[in-house]
Amino acid sequence: MIAEQCLFWLFATLACGGAISVAICQSVVRMAMSLIVCLASVSALFFLLHADFVGAVQLMVYVGGTIVLLIFGIMLTASAPFLKIRASPAEGFLAAGIGVFFLAVIAFTVAGISDLEWSSIDRNLSALTTPSDVTSGYNDSSSGNTTRPLALSFLGLRPDKGGNAPGYLLPFEIVSVHLLVVLIGAAYLARPKRRVSAEE
Amino acid sequence: MDDIGYTLSWYLRLAWLLPLAGFAVEVFAGYWSNRHSKTAAYLATGCIGAGFALSTAAFLCWGSHTDWEVFAASDSAGHAFLADHVESETDHGSAGEGSHAVAASHDESRQAVFSGTIYRLGTFGDLEITIDYYIDSLTLLMFMMVTLIATCIHVFAIGYMSDELTDEYVDHSAHTSDGQHVHRPGRFYRFFSFMSLFCFAMLGLVLAGNIFQVFVFWELVGICSFLLIGFYTERHSANVAANKAFIVNRVGDFGFIIGLMILWTYCGTFRFADSELDGHTQPGLFSMVRGSHGHIETHGEDVILNTELHDGHWTAPHDPERTIPYALLVVAGLGVFGGCIGKSAQFPLQTWLPDAMEGPTPVSALVHSATMVAAGVYLAGRFYPVFTTEVLLAIAYIGCITLFIAATIAVVATDIKRVLAYSTISQLGYMMLGIGLGGWAAGLFHLITHAFFKSLMFLCSGSVIHGCHHEQEMPKMGGLWRKMPWTAFTMLVGVIAISGLAIPFTSIAFSGYHSKDAIVATALAHMQLNPIHFLLFLTPLVTAGITAFYMFRLWFYTFTGKPRDEHVYEHCHESPMVMVAPLVLLSAFAAFCAVGGENGPLYNMISFSEPVGVGHDETPMGLTTDVALPSHGTIHEVHPLAGKVALLAAALGTITAALLYWFPMVDPGTIKRQFSGLHSFLVNKWRFDELYDVAFVRPTHSVARWCVNCDKYVFDGFLHSLARASVWVAVVDRKFDEGIIDGLVNLAGTATRAVGMSLSVFQTGRIRQYVMFIAVSVVALFALLFAFITKA
Amino acid sequence: MDQVSLSHLLWIGAILFVSGVVCMTTKRNGIGILMGVELVLNGANVNFVAFARYTQLGLDGQVVALFVIVLAAAEAAVALAIALNFYNNHHTIDVDRGDSLSG
Repeated sequence: MIAEQCLFWLFATLACGGAISVAICQSVVRMAMSLIVCLASVSALFFLLHADFVGAVQLMVYVGGTIVLLIFGIMLTASAPFLKIRASPAEGFLAAGIGVFFLAVIAFTVAGISDLEWSSIDRNLSALTTPSDVTSGYNDSSSGNTTRPLALSFLGLRPDKGGNAPGYLLPFEIVSVHLLVVLIGAAYLARPKRRVSAEE
Repeated sequence: MDDIGYTLSWYLRLAWLLPLAGFAVEVFAGYWSNRHSKTAAYLATGCIGAGFALSTAAFLCWGSHTDWEVFAASDSAGHAFLADHVESETDHGSAGEGSHAVAASHDESRQAVFSGTIYRLGTFGDLEITIDYYIDSLTLLMFMMVTLIATCIHVFAIGYMSDELTDEYVDHSAHTSDGQHVHRPGRFYRFFSFMSLFCFAMLGLVLAGNIFQVFVFWELVGICSFLLIGFYTERHSANVAANKAFIVNRVGDFGFIIGLMILWTYCGTFRFADSELDGHTQPGLFSMVRGSHGHIETHGEDVILNTELHDGHWTAPHDPERTIPYALLVVAGLGVFGGCIGKSAQFPLQTWLPDAMEGPTPVSALVHSATMVAAGVYLAGRFYPVFTTEVLLAIAYIGCITLFIAATIAVVATDIKRVLAYSTISQLGYMMLGIGLGGWAAGLFHLITHAFFKSLMFLCSGSVIHGCHHEQEMPKMGGLWRKMPWTAFTMLVGVIAISGLAIPFTSIAFSGYHSKDAIVATALAHMQLNPIHFLLFLTPLVTAGITAFYMFRLWFYTFTGKPRDEHVYEHCHESPMVMVAPLVLLSAFAAFCAVGGENGPLYNMISFSEPVGVGHDETPMGLTTDVALPSHGTIHEVHPLAGKVALLAAALGTITAALLYWFPMVDPGTIKRQFSGLHSFLVNKWRFDELYDVAFVRPTHSVARWCVNCDKYVFDGFLHSLARASVWVAVVDRKFDEGIIDGLVNLAGTATRAVGMSLSVFQTGRIRQYVMFIAVSVVALFALLFAFITKA
Repeated sequence: MDQVSLSHLLWIGAILFVSGVVCMTTKRNGIGILMGVELVLNGANVNFVAFARYTQLGLDGQVVALFVIVLAAAEAAVALAIALNFYNNHHTIDVDRGDSLSG
């Protein structure tokens, strides 16, 4: 509980601080950096709010997609010459150290799981194919396990509500088509055109 | 009886309508013939000649029906030959017997009157407008006379108007604006179409059975006279003369209409004779006024009209149905006679006839000597029963004045046609005088004889004019008898006739002697009965002398002596046979139509139709005057004396003329110079034209000018001011429209634009600003919501 | 400290939203405005997920948050294309230069 609270306060501070600094910063690159921090913190907040899937999607789409897009945009529309992008060697060492630390954490996690547990995961997963367990998923949803219910609702089923509560099949389809159209449109809009000369 | 009336009416109807049919064809002759064709003339002559044949047939029919009583009835009043008069025989029966005989013959003549209705035009309340006929011996005589003379004149005109048989007629008396003579196509056919129309109108007048019909045809002859006088339309003088003729006639017709109105108001009918209506016999005008006894019933101030029928006699009922105030009857008579004054060119409306000589000579012969001007006298004779004594006296005086004035002017006139015109006026005065004095038959006798010799003389003058190539002034003629013997001889016949010359102590005389003699005798008898009206005898007597003087002056001046103008004499020639033959025929009539004088057939025919009461009663009559009209007996008594003095006067006039003009012993030029004042007064026609100009024409012109100015300045001024007001209103309206209404509309536009311009401040185009607005608006909206919506 | 409740998360969402709006209004750089838009959408997402956790909204909140994320990504793509076009036309990403629609 206390850990949750501390993590909550931490990530809340990071999110708000990042947001405010986006508003305050003058340089657009710094704004982009702050935005990354803010969006990542919001994803963490989602995790804390037992919305695992939404948090994961947030990380993937926003931080991984949108921010990249924004940075592309900044670079394409840069008016001032950029600084040198060559990283200094000091930063190389720092990055290497953090990399090693990460590697160690991941290796430790992977090594802690025995072969038996790896295979039991397989068995447990296949045992979960009975209809009665389909809706609930691997763990119950009270601890953030919302993937399966969300997916089922996208397919038009709402097991958590019972009865004949409508699902979100139609909005799902619409949004998918919408995405397609929008992306095609954006690609068309951003196509290379004859560059307008400077005097015009 | 009815069959005869029917037959007679049909003869005369055909004779009357044939010229109309001729007119209808001839008036379009310009389309179906060329200008060289004489067909129109032949058609016209044929129609009127057929009219003469029909009239003669009607006369024969009538005569045989009445067993030729007209020629058998010899009044015991004893109208003997002139020889008897010279012996001053006194055989004239008692007035009573005479009146009986005449009354008897008159009763017979009542049955010799045929009247009826040809066509009913319309009925307006009590008033019926119809086309009637009234046929007695006078009608038949007039028909024969008019058609015969018209036929002769038509034949003459074929020769006289032959100048018009061309495609280009040069009128030497009319000029265009640049001084050239007028060239125009010939109008031969049109002349004859007008003549046919005139004949139709004149015969309709003679045949008329009611006074309204007379008026209609009266006007129609006036129109024809207008058309014929103004035949040479390009001549200004001809147009003026035509206008003058018509307008002066109109003045007389004003009186005519007043008379008509009075008669209708009190008598309720226009008809002369009695008529049948629903089995009742309605009295005609003559019966109403005079009754069957022949005198006017007065009762105090009123005249009682005879509306009761006893045994075929009209008498006045005891309680009068219809009365007419005597004064109004006098006015009615004077009114109708006013028409006669205009038509017959009596004083004071005589000014138009001399100017009417502007028309071609055949017109003067037919219209202005024999027929139209005689229509006035004819009406005076026909309407005699309705005239009271005062009216007859007025007629007599007017005739007297007229004959004197005209004769004096004729003495100094130099245009051959003018002399004859004044002579016509003078002789018409004689006729009116005769009728006014009670000599009904005498006046009409003179009418018939005058028609013959005057038309003869006019045609002779036409022949002279034609032969002298349209020279009309006598001072340029002279000695023409060598070149134009036929014309000269026939003219002499006419001159002798009008002068009233006779071979003394015999009864051999031309027609004019007998008729003038009858009038003078009547005048003398009248003077004997009413000595106060002596002028009515002296004037015609003196004027008879003057007449002879100026007529012989004309003849001597034109045909004898040395030619005064070589050029005219050189080119003078006798007229062709087509023109001379009518002259000869007419001269025969002029000489011998009145053979037998007052016992002759002509006079008998006339007196056969004498109205009841003429020539019987010598009691002084009349409410305001006491005039006794002479009876037949009295007239016969004085006839010899009258004849002698008249002959004396005529002879004196003739000798004077011979002395002055034939073997000139006295130079007329010196006389003219000695009496130059009088001469100029006479040459200027007693200055009547100037008088009328000052009295009537100039005031009319000034009234017309005043009207023009009133119209131009007052009415037009009013209209212009209305127009200006409208324009002003329009200007104000425009200003209002442009200023206020457009201003309002523009204001709306300007205000909207201003608002828009002011709102465009918000359109900066800056995205950040728009986002700011959105944010601010959302905040404000939320603030409002939370401020005004309470927690639920 | 007290329990983490709904109101804390609503505060966070509000701060994110307001920062985003402020960023949108104040930045002259077009990309900066896009970042502001992302912040706004994230603030809304936080609200949704908070309500999904602490109220009866349940799964619906998370569904909507997913949709928002997807749509925001699409919108970011289009907006970037617009910004690139803007840059091509005006040779600058300064949005204040694009005021040709001013009245």
